[in-house]
Amino acid sequence: METVKRLHFHKPTPSGWLSAALASLLLLTGCGARDGEGKTEEPRTRTVFAMDTVMDLTVYGGSEDLMREAEALILTLESELSVTAPASEIFAVNGAGEGSVGPDTAEVLSAALELSERTEGKLDCTVYPVLRAWGFTTGDYRIPSEEELDALLPLVDWRRVSLGDGRVTLGPGQMLDLGAVAKGYTGDRLLALFREAGVTSALVNLGGNVQALGTKPDCSLWRVAVADPLGNGYAGVLETADRAVITSGGYERYFERDGRIYRHILDPDTGIPADNGLISVTIVGERGVVCDGLSTALFVMGEEGAADFWRDSDDFGMILLTEDGRILLTEGLETSFTPAGDWTDAPLTVIGRESGRGGAP
Amino acid sequence: MIPTKTWILLISAFLLLSVAAGLILYLGPAPGTVANIYRDGVPVRSVDLSLVTEPYEFTLTDERGSNVIRVEPGRISVAEADCPDGICVKTGWISDSAAPIVCLPHRLVIRIEQTAAAESGPVPDTVSR
Repeated sequence: METVKRLHFHKPTPSGWLSAALASLLLLTGCGARDGEGKTEEPRTRTVFAMDTVMDLTVYGGSEDLMREAEALILTLESELSVTAPASEIFAVNGAGEGSVGPDTAEVLSAALELSERTEGKLDCTVYPVLRAWGFTTGDYRIPSEEELDALLPLVDWRRVSLGDGRVTLGPGQMLDLGAVAKGYTGDRLLALFREAGVTSALVNLGGNVQALGTKPDCSLWRVAVADPLGNGYAGVLETADRAVITSGGYERYFERDGRIYRHILDPDTGIPADNGLISVTIVGERGVVCDGLSTALFVMGEEGAADFWRDSDDFGMILLTEDGRILLTEGLETSFTPAGDWTDAPLTVIGRESGRGGAP
Repeated sequence: MIPTKTWILLISAFLLLSVAAGLILYLGPAPGTVANIYRDGVPVRSVDLSLVTEPYEFTLTDERGSNVIRVEPGRISVAEADCPDGICVKTGWISDSAAPIVCLPHRLVIRIEQTAAAESGPVPDTVSR
């Protein structure tokens, strides 16, 4: 009753009564009825600088201890997974060509290898030597010569990485980089930590990787904007709950030489930055580690490759933005994604399960 | 017995009050009074005038020119415009649905209506990039 009264309709219109009826229904479901006053408690927030980026945690109904635990978890994972920190497990494996790793590293690597297999190597956690040759790891950008690339490319092959019983073995000269999945994995672990503590509403943004637990405390959906890769605002807003929303664009780390733009996402087959007309790929799904890896792999695949890959999958949806100003999104997202800013009037295509197969008109 | 004159007075007073009350309800600033701004007939911005506490201005510009819109509690006007006739500025403040502000050269119309026509939407919670 209290909640319905609080809505305070000046003129009860049919839609007003409908809202009131819906509001009372929500009370019955228990969603948002945590405190009888109908007021939303203030969330606990934390900003953590880790993994070369800024991480924002917003948690409703958690304790200060839980926030400290979350921060500690991020720092632990960073220290294990970093490719540049000399004390990390990955650094040790890269130096020696083999080594023992803890359960976290083993799990992230195993997820990365699964995704490599699933994407036929469009995501490859052994691309690091080539990435380094381009200067993307240090910022000292350069264009490697053809001979240099030819010499490095044979090192890029996830199939030569073996993992068993906490032991990793690389092929000669190979180097691992779990950067494409580490943040997604961290998000999964954070949300699991919050869930176990009884939290039903939380939002984390790990350097642009968004992962949501439940809905907002008032039962409404989280509004996750997708950055405009060409401007400062955003290309649209996705309303969602209980999902990871992870974007790869390559528009944040790139360099320009002789009028050409080289982005940091490399095609593992050629060792050259992906340049296929896509400027942003957003993956929406339940598992952060999968969405993180797929956003990179599908950016490499391009428009048609990504659409075909999606038709063969059932664990994610996607929003693609193209260089020539088009929006493509997969069936089911068209009702929850609203284009905005410069993309408000962009031509929008819904990718269907069947369309594009067999060339039907 | 009450004289007929008294009856007439009472009934007239009652009628007058009813008409006055009706007028107040009909013309008064209803809660949720929204100024909808249309360009070429398309809603581009909605301002809920009943929520305005401090006066402010914003500018709407396109290839035809600019209009500076001034908003105050319960009312809206065009403060400046670079259109040739300046009729929109001369219209002054509007606070009810009686007449819109029209800038014909810029194809801009400001109309007071019951509900917002432009879907501005609330600010997102976070940005995926």
